[in-house]
Amino acid sequence: MRSSNPAKTNIIWHRRLGLSLFVLLIFLAISGIALNHSPAFKLNKISLSNSWLLSWYGLEKPPINAFKLDNKWLYESGNNLLYVDGQSVAPCTAPLLSVANGTNTLFALCADTLHLLTNNGQLLESYSQLDGLPGNTGSIAAAGNTLYLLTDSAVFEFNPDSLELKPSPEMDPASLNPITDPQLLPDSLEQQLEKNAASISLETLILDLHSGRFFGQFGVLVMDIVGLLVCILSITGLLAWISRLRQIKQ
Amino acid sequence: MFHSLLNKLSRKVIFTGLLTTTLLASPLLIAKGVYQSGPDFVAEVFAPAQPEAGVLWFNDDIRQQAEKILGHRVLGLRVRYHQSGAKTAWILNEIGKEMPITIGVVVDRGKISTVKILAYRESRGGEVRYPAYMAQYQGATLTDRYKLDKSIDGITGATLSVWAVNKVAALALYYHSQVMSKPEAKE
Repeated sequence: MRSSNPAKTNIIWHRRLGLSLFVLLIFLAISGIALNHSPAFKLNKISLSNSWLLSWYGLEKPPINAFKLDNKWLYESGNNLLYVDGQSVAPCTAPLLSVANGTNTLFALCADTLHLLTNNGQLLESYSQLDGLPGNTGSIAAAGNTLYLLTDSAVFEFNPDSLELKPSPEMDPASLNPITDPQLLPDSLEQQLEKNAASISLETLILDLHSGRFFGQFGVLVMDIVGLLVCILSITGLLAWISRLRQIKQ
Repeated sequence: MFHSLLNKLSRKVIFTGLLTTTLLASPLLIAKGVYQSGPDFVAEVFAPAQPEAGVLWFNDDIRQQAEKILGHRVLGLRVRYHQSGAKTAWILNEIGKEMPITIGVVVDRGKISTVKILAYRESRGGEVRYPAYMAQYQGATLTDRYKLDKSIDGITGATLSVWAVNKVAALALYYHSQVMSKPEAKE
């Protein structure tokens, strides 16, 4: 038989609401306190780089373009830096297209710049499109102290000492064998890259979970409903207390 | 009659709105870009003379001083320049806010004769490339504390770009002094 007593109905609904929201309210209270004291807990300094989390936030790991040359690893991983064995040596617009080994110089061709490096990986200088690098240069190949730049339709001879560039129509591109296929970067260097890669701070994650934004618009709507239910919970609690007072007085 | 008047009025309002939007947006639209290539800049500033290309290798002193002027690490082991007599031209890059600005600087007998923005890659602050602003650098020399001896007026909204140009101008004057102090330098 259903109870028609309003005070009893009120208490039943207060209990139902309280039990349904129990876990969520505990979480909101703890996350709220954590966010209030975020600087003290250094939540913004704690980086999370879990691949599922990064993918959820739309931060996919960029591909690594790595080449082994003269026992050195030259690579970039989409963060606009050229690395040689773990050290960033120059800006490099992705992708790293090709590398070549000259007599005393290593060459690395990024999307818009050719970098000249010493044999131990130090940057000598850079030669950009603004300096005269052909815009559609796709690969490079070295022969002695001469570097050949290969475009879709032509081959250029590049002097790394004078930075002089001239067409080399007699050179057969097929005979040059440029290095253009990236290799798999060793785990140790890849892990080093991951340390500096894009990440989400714990503060952002807690804030997004607290507000419901982590689950998109649906999450925000759920949190809005939770807010309304908390208001109802307070009102039903207050009404229960008043009716209890009345019962005591009677 | 009333409708035709209303149509004319609405056309005028739309035209004025479009014109105002275009005028307001134009500085933003044309802020980014490559204005001149390095070889073209060199050919222009030395014409009709044919400059010689040179390389300034960084020793510890030069690197240290260059890093002090720029306030950060200097990339590379050498820098290219072009020279004709006591006149040198330098093409240097410096970050404005986030992206590098490519700046051409010509130094003649220890004084700046030309500063020109060759490529500007930031979306805002491109006003530094205007000739009226660049003219301020003409005649500037380097003080004992490796600063420009002239006060350069800033540009609202382009402060970081102005600082970048100031640093590059001072750096070119310093590099020029190093080239000229070489025994084989031509005065």
